Amino acid sequence: MIISENLNKTFKVGFKKNQGALARILNLFMGKESKKTLEVLKSVSFELKKGDVLGIIGCNGCGKSTLLRILAGIYSFDKGNLKINGKIVPIIGLGVGMESRLKMRDNVFVIGLLLGMSFKEIKRKFTSIVEFAGLRDFIETPLYQFSDGMRQRLAFSIAIHSNPDILLLDEVFAVGDKDFREKSIKKINELVKNGVSVILVSHDLESIRKHCNKVIWINNGVVFRQGKPKKVLKEYLK
Amino acid sequence: MSLRHNFELSYILAKIGFVLRNEGTWLGIFWYLLAPFLTFLLLFAIFFDRLGHQIPNYAVYLFLGIILFNFFQKITGESIAIIRSNSGIIKSMNFSRESLVGAVVLKTLFSHFFEVLLLCLFLIYFKISLIGLIFYPLILLFFLIFSFGISLVLSSLSIYFVDLGNVWEFASKLIWFGTPVFYSIGGQTTLIYLNLFNPMYYFITITREVLIYNTLPELWMMGVALFYSLFYLLIGLFMFNKLKIKFAELI
Repeated sequence: MIISENLNKTFKVGFKKNQGALARILNLFMGKESKKTLEVLKSVSFELKKGDVLGIIGCNGCGKSTLLRILAGIYSFDKGNLKINGKIVPIIGLGVGMESRLKMRDNVFVIGLLLGMSFKEIKRKFTSIVEFAGLRDFIETPLYQFSDGMRQRLAFSIAIHSNPDILLLDEVFAVGDKDFREKSIKKINELVKNGVSVILVSHDLESIRKHCNKVIWINNGVVFRQGKPKKVLKEYLK
Repeated sequence: MSLRHNFELSYILAKIGFVLRNEGTWLGIFWYLLAPFLTFLLLFAIFFDRLGHQIPNYAVYLFLGIILFNFFQKITGESIAIIRSNSGIIKSMNFSRESLVGAVVLKTLFSHFFEVLLLCLFLIYFKISLIGLIFYPLILLFFLIFSFGISLVLSSLSIYFVDLGNVWEFASKLIWFGTPVFYSIGGQTTLIYLNLFNPMYYFITITREVLIYNTLPELWMMGVALFYSLFYLLIGLFMFNKLKIKFAELI
């Protein structure tokens, strides 16, 4: 369950990331530090209940991914309130953290642990993860011999096996071939039935219409419209 | 997230780091030992006549100093770049960032184990009792905590100061020359006063007294070493916790 009230996130624009110690200290004394800011999220409020599938739409650069990262605890936020109950598993960029020179078995453990599972848990679910990804024959194969699709299937499979209460999907609702896509949609629906909530960021309006029961449209850092997918999407397409 | 989970994560990250680095070389461990051993040979050849003859068991004295310093330098040197080199996972997953530094510590601990085996050969060759080794894990634990604390400070600051790696390279060289690794400090008053503020001095001295000379180190020295390790751990945890939420935005 997530309750977000007037969430605000402001980035310093022109904050020189790559500054050396001397330059940083000199700038501090001379007041040269950039004061420009960019308010990516001005005030975002929404509510996500158990079993909800929430779609987030909006133009490029309007703060969808920033919002997801804040929810996942990767970014901080500046103002507002955020209440989260349950374990959040973000799937942002599939296959990140996988080591291509390692065997698939090791990669499952690395990614599983990064997503908050324990050794024991991964061991117990290992077969199920591999079966779901359809990669049973490649357990001892190094990852550099995998295709992109195979990697994505594996990453997706690990993520949904990591006991999420809330899944955050950034443009990755369906990956892989048609069969795997159908399988993963089925699995997500099953999770949703069991009380898992999903937040789905996508430009693919068709899948938003199909799977979400709620949509928010973010524009200029605020929730511009929210409600039933049909209604919001109709306005969005205008 | 629990301590146990952090440990498991550190462990697996250390393991893959180790596997990746030694993949395809049967001599993996040998390479780890080569650097400290060659440093030892070189310094021993140069200084044995000049600095060595007043120090009993100079060879062991020197080698022990080198491997302890090596332990510290490896951990801090690698930790300083660890956040930046893992930007991909930091930007997309919310795991405990401390585990990255923890993995460096575990990995170095593993290679340190082989250096200690070599040290045992030294001790046996010079007919020194191995009894002091019983206390070594305890000393190493506090030395490890100290190194972990410093690494937390360095790794979190390195996000704000991009050239901190260069600064630290220079600083650790200074500490190397300032710490009595290949010489003895006796009689040099300024150096003694300076070294009172050098945590490395305490850890190295204590270890030598226990392992080589089989004596109990002075109580105040152990107290100060204990203080430094806990002090830097707390500072490290505090700074890292303050700064870690900004990592993903700044890398």
